[in-house]
Amino acid sequence: MNKRITLKIAKIEDETHDIKTFTFKHKLNAKPGQFIMITDFEGGEKPLSISDCSEDEFSITVKKIGEFTSRLFQKREGDFMSIRGAFGSSFFISDGKVLLVGGGYGSIPLYLLAKYLSEAGADISVINGARTKNDLVFCDKFRELGIKLIITTDDGTYGEKVSSVDVARKILSNQLVPKPQLGNNDHFQAGAWKRENDEKKKKFDFVYAAGPEMMMKSLQGVIGDIEYEFIFERYMKCAIGICGNCTMDPLGIRLCVEGPVLSKKIVEQITEFGKYHRDATGKRILY
Amino acid sequence: MNKKLRTKFLNAEIKSPLVLPAGIMDMSFSGLDISAKNGAGIVTSKSFTLQPRTGHKGPVVAEFEGGFLNAMGLCNPGIVDGLAETNEFKERSDTPVIVSVFATNVNDFLKLTEYVNTSKGDFLELNLSCPNVFDEFGIPLAASKDEVHKIIKAVKKISEFPVIAKLSPNVYDIVSIAKAAESAGADAICMINTVGPGMLIDTKMVKSVLFNKFGGLSGPCIKPIALKLIYQTYSEVRIPIIGMGGVKSGEDAIEMMMAGASMVGVGTAVYYRGIEVFNKINNEIIEFMDKNEYSNLEGVPKLEKLK
Repeated sequence: MNKRITLKIAKIEDETHDIKTFTFKHKLNAKPGQFIMITDFEGGEKPLSISDCSEDEFSITVKKIGEFTSRLFQKREGDFMSIRGAFGSSFFISDGKVLLVGGGYGSIPLYLLAKYLSEAGADISVINGARTKNDLVFCDKFRELGIKLIITTDDGTYGEKVSSVDVARKILSNQLVPKPQLGNNDHFQAGAWKRENDEKKKKFDFVYAAGPEMMMKSLQGVIGDIEYEFIFERYMKCAIGICGNCTMDPLGIRLCVEGPVLSKKIVEQITEFGKYHRDATGKRILY
Repeated sequence: MNKKLRTKFLNAEIKSPLVLPAGIMDMSFSGLDISAKNGAGIVTSKSFTLQPRTGHKGPVVAEFEGGFLNAMGLCNPGIVDGLAETNEFKERSDTPVIVSVFATNVNDFLKLTEYVNTSKGDFLELNLSCPNVFDEFGIPLAASKDEVHKIIKAVKKISEFPVIAKLSPNVYDIVSIAKAAESAGADAICMINTVGPGMLIDTKMVKSVLFNKFGGLSGPCIKPIALKLIYQTYSEVRIPIIGMGGVKSGEDAIEMMMAGASMVGVGTAVYYRGIEVFNKINNEIIEFMDKNEYSNLEGVPKLEKLK
């Protein structure tokens, strides 16, 4: 039984102008990619990615997008929230050469993944992209892990004006090789990436992505035959695989149970990927 | 699928007596399809209304030791988009489908029936008994034998498909309501809808767990109630019964059949035993039949009817 538990918010931190991290003291045992359902019993229970999880505490990182999250942003440390979970599938932890591609607040679940990958000894490059500088999350946290970090923005307010998928394409084809330990110069600068003395250009073993679905759809087109896992969003209600609101066509997989992390083999069979999703009524909404 | 599980329900050949009931895994054609592929003999659509409904705000489910409370609030994409999902399912599967519809008056039920007549569905279910929209619509129609009779009689006149009445357990005398459905021409009874409704409270925040405050009970705790009501109804009506309420195992399904059910719904058990639950229960039914030397489902004995 996935028992509901009501906890005090232990800590609230601002990440950006509209993204906050809420930390709870509780042993959740969540793995990267999993989510919780959270409510204040005032209307709405939402699935939120776990952004960090240790022995005795866990965090969620939330973007203010609607009525529920607006109310959540009014909460103070010490206020109660009620949670269920952790639910869903988690990322495969590779120890090889890996690329993580995050778009906007999609990067949130990638931080815990990067931590696990780092512990497993993987060779990690992260592309953390956003629309503008103000929408970038977790840059400092990624830096602390000592991984290769590439930051891009769509409008060029941080680094070059370039799409994360374009950078991914160049990195995966070894046209660009990220340098380790870039410090504060980790934003995209075309010149900084050409290596004079190329180390052996090893092929990537695994790609992970989290972000807007159309970003992942474009990314799928540049990954080639490398293994990958993407994390998806669909409208979830029960989160326990009964109501069917988050099933994905044509397989009927329940994103709350078989997802939210889906492997290449599954993603390739999903015909609604990048085409449509269903809203709270079950109506198809085209992308 | 094992031949021993083959049965007939009304005019259709069915490969398993297990039914996916309305409200479970039925928001998309693919949810119906995976349930059928996992061994459901009949699948039921979401209960469609004329217009789309978002349903209640969450939490919409609450678990406790004996089962679940739910108050989804009849979320559905509306009859037009809903039937498109049903039709897409039928293009992929030969499993019969019950199209479920919900309304609060005869006229709307008739409009819904006209839509369903144009679909690829096999049966029409009239959901007369949703317990979770009380604030909006008041007491369910299934509480009144006169309403039940009136609606079924009107729908039967125009429906191209056999009509199934989904009844509520939350009435004093379900037998009289089932008889009213039968005398109005219903082809089958589907029972029971969720029980109660009930509530659960979060003691730290002093709030009802469900945002709708109250929700229908499902899961193992309602099985004894379902068995009793099905048995009482079976004793008094001649039309077949789709029996459901807390069925988790093959033995539970056999109990339903012994109480008088022709077909057996499996809903909440999808949570307890996974989407594979239908095949698991199918296999358990076969084991039971083998052990007791029943060569087909008709051979499974039923209780002597109440006098």
